[in-house]
Amino acid sequence: MDLSLLPQALVSGVLASGLYALVSVGLALAIGVIGIVNFAHGEFFMVGAFLAYQLFVSFGFDPLLSLLIVAPALAVIGGVIYLSTIRFVLKAPELNQMLLTFGVGIILQNLALVIWGGDPRSIANVPYRSIGYQLGGVSVGMVPLGSFVISVALVAALYWTLARTPLGRAMRAVAQNRVGAGLVGLEVNRVYLVAFALSALLAGMGGVMIAVIQSPTPTVGLAFTLKAFAIVVLAGLGNVRGIVGASLLVAVAESIVATMVPGGDALRNAVFFAIIFLVLIWRSRKVA
Amino acid sequence: MNRLLRDLLVALALGGLLALLPAALRELFGRSAVSYLTLATNALLLGVLALSWDMLARTGQLSLAHAAFTGVGAYSAAVLLRFAEVPVWLGIPLGGVLAALLALVLGAATLRLYGIYFAIATLAFTEVLRTVVQKLPAHIAGGAPGINVPPLFRPTFVAGQMERWEVAFLRNQGYFWVYLGLLVLAVAISIALQRSRLRSAFTAIRTNEEVAGVMGVNPARTKLVAFAVSSFVAGLLGAVEAHRLGSVSPDGSFAVHTTVLALVTPIFGGLYTTVGPILGAGVLAALEETLKRTFSEGYLIGYGIVLVASILFMPRGLVGLLTGIGRRLTGRGSRGAGATTGTLDGTPLPSGDPPSASTEAKP
Repeated sequence: MDLSLLPQALVSGVLASGLYALVSVGLALAIGVIGIVNFAHGEFFMVGAFLAYQLFVSFGFDPLLSLLIVAPALAVIGGVIYLSTIRFVLKAPELNQMLLTFGVGIILQNLALVIWGGDPRSIANVPYRSIGYQLGGVSVGMVPLGSFVISVALVAALYWTLARTPLGRAMRAVAQNRVGAGLVGLEVNRVYLVAFALSALLAGMGGVMIAVIQSPTPTVGLAFTLKAFAIVVLAGLGNVRGIVGASLLVAVAESIVATMVPGGDALRNAVFFAIIFLVLIWRSRKVA
Repeated sequence: MNRLLRDLLVALALGGLLALLPAALRELFGRSAVSYLTLATNALLLGVLALSWDMLARTGQLSLAHAAFTGVGAYSAAVLLRFAEVPVWLGIPLGGVLAALLALVLGAATLRLYGIYFAIATLAFTEVLRTVVQKLPAHIAGGAPGINVPPLFRPTFVAGQMERWEVAFLRNQGYFWVYLGLLVLAVAISIALQRSRLRSAFTAIRTNEEVAGVMGVNPARTKLVAFAVSSFVAGLLGAVEAHRLGSVSPDGSFAVHTTVLALVTPIFGGLYTTVGPILGAGVLAALEETLKRTFSEGYLIGYGIVLVASILFMPRGLVGLLTGIGRRLTGRGSRGAGATTGTLDGTPLPSGDPPSASTEAKP
């Protein structure tokens, strides 16, 4: 292990954590407010990535511009999926809900495979992709830095919304007590709809960024569903506030393994899955 | 006659009848019989996969790790053959045994997890296992490209006496019989479970684990038994399929789509039954064939739609639907659609079958 790589690994990890937090916070919102464990969450992320790719190829839209188009598009997609499927299983057993979202995820992923095929796609020709900075032996790319800043801003905006706005108060009220929230006059079903659309929107905006950072294939969604689960489980299911810390921890761990362990790049995803696995088992022991 | 024995004999007789299918297809379709035979083989495979998954689901544990067990079966058959030159008749059962052992380990670690937590943990486990297999030294497990596995059947082409297509037909016929054998085995295990005290134990755990414990069922041990049996069958299937496909690879042998097929089929056909998963497999295999011809990639979309539609409109699966129709026709029992199948939450069976969890629980 080469310790001189440590600063670079730490910086890369911190920069990556922003995107993870953005995707996971949406999942935590769906779980916390609606109580739906959404196995299709990563697919919203994937749809965002491929919409941005298509906008770039067809109209030459810069990903930054695409963010503004993809966000409402994903909110609509999320809303439609909520109204057409999720709404009907709100009172169904947890496993029905899980399998339903799993099915929605399979549909979205394979729809993308039919439309775009299985090859990796990427938005390569943006001018700022090659810009990078050197700070005392640590190189920082413009794209990871930009995605970090945008993600942090979006997550902060969500926290502010939850804390300070009537909508946020409504969501927190519903999360705490559905019946009570309904009794004091909140339109619980509308709050669910908004929360689910918001959750899809956040994931989709994350997807736009991954299309610039990596070259995703339509199967990227499942990997990100699992990554988001790792973070959400670490933070505590449905806990929106713990997401930032959990994202930092997971992203830095991933980055350290990827840069410092020989041949560690292939182990990237295994880090996440091992974290999910261990945290779940550890939690189950503690409860018992 | 003993009900268990009667059911087993019926299954065996049906299996024997099905064994004649290749000959019938050959008579009926001649050279185009090969594609029908492949379709039939795929249906059998799907039936085994679905039934093995259902055996664990009966305890209320929805596993997303089925691909891990077919993958382990496939890899152990491949590696044993490569290094120890273990004969095939031993290698395939060993694949099942190793998968069962792995299930005991995973089961012991995840025993206390239930519902979505179990599902997430098993999905994560599959991905870890896939990465580990990929990272094993290439001279052992072949790394990312995988290992080649020789076919089980190698009919030789005799010029003048047979036509080219007959070689393919003979090869497929061999796999058809092997999968038929596996299906009969899986059905026999499933029937044995359904007709034993374990059935009540499974239902009790699925419905309410704490209460089951109070009733004298040992949830941990019962779940482990179900997990091991279910994975044993999955491992056998994986090993045979490795021979049929001709290779194993981390991405192919541990693919999520195996898990998807394994869980969608019983949900569509009818959970917690022996007939349901097989019925579902027959319908879905035909559907898949049609979809595969339309889309080269993304044919799984059909499974997604079937899964969503089943949960929204047909929570008791085909079996529930058919029993419901049957009842309406005969005018018996106006309420409740499924005496033999159940919903995911393990709600008690509405009518018919009396065995409630309480009386027959395992000591």
